[in-house]
Amino acid sequence: MVKFYQHRYSYDYSWSTVSYAFLTRYPNPFATHVLSVDTLDHRIDTATGDLLITRLLRKTNSVPRWARGIMRGNDAYILEEVRVNPDAGTLVSKTRNITHTRLMKVEERQFLLADKDNSSHTLCRNETSIVSNIGYGLNSKIENFSLSRFTDNLAKSRKGMLYVLDLAQRKGLFRQRLKLEEQISPS
Amino acid sequence: MDSLGAECTPLKHKYDACFTKWYSEKFINGERSNDCAEVFKEYQACIRKVLVDRGLTKMIDDARPTIGSVFASAADDKDAAPPKK
Repeated sequence: MVKFYQHRYSYDYSWSTVSYAFLTRYPNPFATHVLSVDTLDHRIDTATGDLLITRLLRKTNSVPRWARGIMRGNDAYILEEVRVNPDAGTLVSKTRNITHTRLMKVEERQFLLADKDNSSHTLCRNETSIVSNIGYGLNSKIENFSLSRFTDNLAKSRKGMLYVLDLAQRKGLFRQRLKLEEQISPS
Repeated sequence: MDSLGAECTPLKHKYDACFTKWYSEKFINGERSNDCAEVFKEYQACIRKVLVDRGLTKMIDDARPTIGSVFASAADDKDAAPPKK
C-alpha cells in the first residue's frame, strides 16, 4: 500500500524568517509530542555552499489501539535532513520514521521557497508518502489512520510554525535585512 | 528543547544558541563562515556516544541511503566518520 498526499500553502513572512522558524520550530506549544531534537550533522557543502543538517527527533508514540500489538517500544524516532540555500531562497527537508517501519514508513518532504514576486511571502509545499506492507487485513485501517494523522499533523505543524514565526518577528531578527532591502529598492 | 541524552543537553543548548545567532546574522546574509564548528564537534561527540549506548546507530545507518545520505559520506570529512563499533 502506498498513499501520497500533497499540500500547498504560503506564509506571509519573508523567506529568511520562515527558514529560520523552520529550523528552530521546536519546542513550541503545538508540538508537545516532540520529546527531544538532536542535530547529528551540521556542515556547509563545499561545492554548493548549502547548509546541510541531519536531525534526530524523538516523539511520543500515540497510535490507535489496534496497532499497539504491532508497535513495540514507547518512543518513535524520526530522522530529518535539511538543505538550505540562502542565495536561491530554498529550504528542502525530508523526514522519515526509523522506528516502527514494519508497520509503516512515512516520508515527508517540505519545500520552503522564497516568492520572487513578493519578498514578504514564502511558498510552501508538503509531500507525504505512506508505505505499508503489513497486510493482516490492516491496510485500509492504516490508510484511514494515516490520512487523519496527516491532516492533524499538518494543522499542528502549521500552528507551531506560526507561533515560532510570530516570536521571530517580534524579536526583530530580520528587521535589519528588510531595512537594507528597502534602502536598495526605494519605492 | 532537550537532547536525547540528558548529559548532552548543556552542549546542545550551547550549539543551538550559536546556530540561531549565526544563521540569522550571517548565513542568511550570504556569509558562509562555519562559526559553530567547534561547539558542534563537542556536542556531536556527546550525542554519538548516546546513540551507541541506546543502540540507535544501526537504525540511523540503515535509513541513510534515503535520508541524510548526502551528509553521510565520511570520505570528505574524517571527523564525521561513524564511531567504531
